[in-house]
Amino acid sequence: MTAMTVKDASGRSRATRPAGTSGSEPRRKRYLSDRGLAYLLVAPALLLILVFAVYPFGVAVLNSFNDVDINTGARTPSGLDNYVALFTDASVRDAFFRSVNWTVSNMVLQVVLGVAVAMLLNLNLKGQRLARVLVLIPYMVPAIVAALVFRFMFNDVTGVVNYGLQTLGLIDKPLNWLSDPAMMMPTLVLVNVWKYAPFFVIIVLARLQSIPRDLYEAVAIDGGGWWHRFTAVTLPSIVPVVLAGMLLRTIWTAYDFDVPFLLSNGGGPSGSAITVPLAIRALAFEQQQLGQASALAVCTAILLTGAAYFYLRGYRKSERSTD
Amino acid sequence: MATAVAGSAPASPGRGGPRGTNRRLKPLRALQYAALVLVVLTAVVPMYWIIVNSIRPDSEIAAYPPTFFPSEFTLKHFTDLFEIYGFQQYLVNSMLVSTVATVVALVFGIMAAYAMSRFRFRAVRAVGELSLLAYLLPGILVLVPITQILFGNGLGDNRAALAVLYAATLLPFALWILRSYFSGLGIDTEEAAMIDGCTRFGAFLRVVLPQALPGIASTAIFTFNAAWSEYLFASTLMTSNEKLPANPAVFLLMGHMGTESWGLLMAAALTIILPVLVLFFMAQRWLVAGLSEGAVKG
Repeated sequence: MTAMTVKDASGRSRATRPAGTSGSEPRRKRYLSDRGLAYLLVAPALLLILVFAVYPFGVAVLNSFNDVDINTGARTPSGLDNYVALFTDASVRDAFFRSVNWTVSNMVLQVVLGVAVAMLLNLNLKGQRLARVLVLIPYMVPAIVAALVFRFMFNDVTGVVNYGLQTLGLIDKPLNWLSDPAMMMPTLVLVNVWKYAPFFVIIVLARLQSIPRDLYEAVAIDGGGWWHRFTAVTLPSIVPVVLAGMLLRTIWTAYDFDVPFLLSNGGGPSGSAITVPLAIRALAFEQQQLGQASALAVCTAILLTGAAYFYLRGYRKSERSTD
Repeated sequence: MATAVAGSAPASPGRGGPRGTNRRLKPLRALQYAALVLVVLTAVVPMYWIIVNSIRPDSEIAAYPPTFFPSEFTLKHFTDLFEIYGFQQYLVNSMLVSTVATVVALVFGIMAAYAMSRFRFRAVRAVGELSLLAYLLPGILVLVPITQILFGNGLGDNRAALAVLYAATLLPFALWILRSYFSGLGIDTEEAAMIDGCTRFGAFLRVVLPQALPGIASTAIFTFNAAWSEYLFASTLMTSNEKLPANPAVFLLMGHMGTESWGLLMAAALTIILPVLVLFFMAQRWLVAGLSEGAVKG
C-alpha cells in the first residue's frame, strides 16, 4: 500500500483510481495519515541527497585526515599532513588568488553589464521582444560549446576576433588571447561574463517589469531627472534581487570547473588557468593525492558556510511570511 | 533577502507598446538602438560562427582574412563526424543519461515539493533545508569521494549510475522551483475538489498538476539542459569510449584534432547545442518566468 501511494504521487498511474469517487472524503484517512504521506513523499529526495551529497562530503572530510591509496582506496591516518602540504604549496596559493581574482572580476562585470542590459531591454525600443529572447542564448550554451567556438574565435593567428579588432583599429597587432599566460585569465573572464551575464539580465528584467509605472510618475512630478529616477525607484527595487542572485552566482562562479578547464584546454600555458577547482582535480587525478585534494575541497567548503548562512536565513524568513 | 521580492510577479514580456512620454532627444534614442544591436550581436555572433563554419569547407575556413559569409556549401563535416568518428553514439549516451536524470529529478522533485508546500511537519522542513545546502554544494567538492564511492562499488563507467548522480545533483534545484510553483497555487480549489469527493491524489492530479504545468515544463528544460551540459563528472566517471557522453567526447576530439579541422569541431558543437536551442525557443516564455522565480526564491 505504501508503494502504491508513492507511485500515485508521481502522477504516473492515473488509471488506478476511479474518477471522482463520490462521498469518499474520510476515505483517504484510512489509507495514510497526512504525516505518513508527507514523509513518504520526501523520502526519495532525502535518500538521493544523503547518498550523493551528505555521505560524499563526509568521505571528503575523512579523506583529508588520511593518506589515501588511489588504487585500493585504503586510508592510513596522517593527521594534518595533507593540510600542511597544501598551505606550503606555492601552486595552491597561486590557484587560490587566481580564484579570488576570477570570482570578483566575474561578479563585478556580470552585475554591471547585466543591470545595464536589463535596463536597455526595458526602454520600449523596437525589436525589444526578440532581443529579450536572443540575449539569453549564451546562458543556455553548454560550456564545451562555448569553449569550442571561443577557442576558434580567439585563435592567435587565424581568429576572427583579432581580425575584427585589427580591422577596427582597436589593436595594432594580434593579441595572444589563449597562448599568453598573462592574457589567459582575462580571456576566461570575458567568455564567462558572456555566458553568465544573461542570468542577471533575466532576474533584473523580471523585477524592472514589475515596478509600478506610477512610482516613476510620482518621481517625475517631483521634478526628478533620469538619475533621480534611477536612484529613487530603480535601484532600491533591484538591489534585493541582485543580491540574492549574486549569492548563488558567487558560489557557482568560484567553484566553476567547466569554463576555465575547457576553454584553457586543460589548464592553459604554464598552468595560467589553474583555479582552485582545477587544482583539486589535478591533485586528485594527476598527482594522485586524494587526501590533499579532499583537504583542499574541505578548506574551500568552509568559505561556503557564510553564503549558506545568509541563504538559510532568507529562506526561513520567507517561510515565516507564508505561514 | 528572498522575502523582499516574493510578491513580485514578472509582467509578461513585450506587453505595453511605446506609449506616453516619448519625447526624448533623437540622438539618445539612436545611441540606445546602437547599444541594443551591439548587445544582440555579441550574444548571437558566436552561434552564427558555429553554423557558418560547420557547413563550409576547411579551405575556406582557413582563409585569411576570414570571410563572414560562406561561399561554398558542404556537409562533409557532418558526414565525417558521424561516419568516421561515430559521434551519434556519444549523442545517444548523452540523451539517455540526461533524459533519465530529468525524469527521476522531476518525479522525486514533484513529490517532495508538493509535500513541502502542503504540509508543515518539522521533518519535511528539515529535508527542505538540507536540500538547500545540497543545492549550494558545488560538484567539484564531492568529485573525489563520489569517484571513490562509485568505482569502489563497481558502479564506475556506468551510464545508469551517472544518470542517478545527475538526478541527485539536480534534484534540489528542481525541488525549489517546483515548491515555489506549488506554493503559489491557491490551496482553496484543491480543498474544494477534496470536499467534492476527490481523493488527495485526485485533487493533485486534476487541480494542482495542470496549473503547475508551465512550472514543471520550465523545470524539466533547465534540468535537462544542466545534465546535457555537464562535463566534470561525465569525463571523470566514464572510462570506456562506447559509454562516453558527447561533452567529454568532443573535448577529446578537440585535443586530437587541434586546429586541423575547425569545421568538424563546429559541426560537433552544433549537434550538441541544437537540442538545447530547440527546447529554448519552444518554451522561452516559461523559461524566463521560471528562472526569475527560481533564482530569487530557490
